[in-house]
Amino acid sequence: MEPSTDFVGRDVVSARDFKREQFEHVLRGVEDLEKHKGSLDGALKGRLAALLFFEPSTRTYSSFQIAAERLGMRVSGFAGPTGSSITKGETLHDTVKMFEGYGADIFVIRHSKMGAARFAAEISDTPVINAGDGSREHPTQAMVDLYAIKRAFGRIDGLKVGMLGDLRYGRTSSSLAYALSNFDVEITFIAPDALQMRPEVTQLLKQRGVDPRKERALRDVAGKLDVLYVTRIQKERIPDPTEFEKVKGMYEVNLEALKDAKPSLKVLHPLPRVDELATEVDGTNYAQYFVQAAGGLPLRMVLLNLVLGGVS
Amino acid sequence: MAEKGKERMLVSRIEEGTVIDHIPDWKADTVARVLRLDRLARMQADVSVVILENVTSKLLGRKDIIKIDQWHVDEKDADILCLVFPSITVNYIDEGKVSKYQPKVPDAIEGRIKCPELLCISNAEREPVVPRFATLKRDRLLQCHYCDALLPFDSVPEHVRT
Repeated sequence: MEPSTDFVGRDVVSARDFKREQFEHVLRGVEDLEKHKGSLDGALKGRLAALLFFEPSTRTYSSFQIAAERLGMRVSGFAGPTGSSITKGETLHDTVKMFEGYGADIFVIRHSKMGAARFAAEISDTPVINAGDGSREHPTQAMVDLYAIKRAFGRIDGLKVGMLGDLRYGRTSSSLAYALSNFDVEITFIAPDALQMRPEVTQLLKQRGVDPRKERALRDVAGKLDVLYVTRIQKERIPDPTEFEKVKGMYEVNLEALKDAKPSLKVLHPLPRVDELATEVDGTNYAQYFVQAAGGLPLRMVLLNLVLGGVS
Repeated sequence: MAEKGKERMLVSRIEEGTVIDHIPDWKADTVARVLRLDRLARMQADVSVVILENVTSKLLGRKDIIKIDQWHVDEKDADILCLVFPSITVNYIDEGKVSKYQPKVPDAIEGRIKCPELLCISNAEREPVVPRFATLKRDRLLQCHYCDALLPFDSVPEHVRT
């Protein structure tokens, strides 16, 4: 039986699949890297990372690309469908098989279809990291989010976490909820009914002993929260555009909305934001989202290094 | 016995095939849809299907029965039926001899049901993905292996692959 923190060769498809000690192991790795900057540089020299982004991405793609390059890896693949064979109709299956043949040591995959990363992991012996599969999951963002919380409070246990916005179609929210369910936290989902968290997420949380509260308005809970996780309304994921128009702008987080908040509240956002998080919050002590974003690079370096068995 | 005799009067016994019994009354069409009997009947020239509806039953009060002449329903399909209609029983008939099969809720289902989530990879055109579900028996739900979407047992007939 391998130790539960052993990541070598494993897929990172869903935050459901990871236990508390595994998340803590990753976070400790990031803390170490922050203390000893450069300690992983070149750790995976000569290995090949295939970044297959079937959906356009700027930040996640760039952070994986820079992380891989800092580790000494060669990077191949594409940052979106434009200009790739995807526009000619090449399937995920064939693309994975092709890059496997080219000697990829790891796949980082973003795809519009839910479950795409799990499918890729099944058809390939090469480890797969899910960089977002439709509106389902984004497990590495959840690790980035956990790290931002840990950094702000020095702990995750005992915190009251509110998750606001597009919980139904926002993949970062479901992954973070799964990740948090390993800790002793209180979770409140704040969203209009149409965008409330998907039943499969709340069901698993309940199985794990976390019974999330559901609220329609931030004002009802703002004063009780330690962490407020704000997400963008992702209109491209909403099948009915009229549904989007109804909820657009209803959940803007600004100083007025935070007037009852604890002084120690930290606001997180996976970015990019549209109009759900006002720039007037940026200069306050609430704003943790730029610190959070900065954690993306070291976290992805640590994760790649763990999965590919680089420097211990 | 009188009711049994009455049923015999309606349809003669079959020597080879399947009898699906104890279907809740007026639900035979749903069973036929799950088993895709229309396609079966079209494809197999020597297969006949008889549907009896609202027959009296000691167990259920009223029930439906489906008799399929010259065709053995796959046990896995019978198990899927059991998700929706736990009361059903299946009798296989070989050269006039009857053997009973009691369908059971399977632990997993592969290939027979479509994921209710349209954006699931298992619904993607041209991707060679076989839909797979785990059964959450206590909650009477199926869960997609790929996207985690939940499907109530009672909604299974609308998601059978055609």
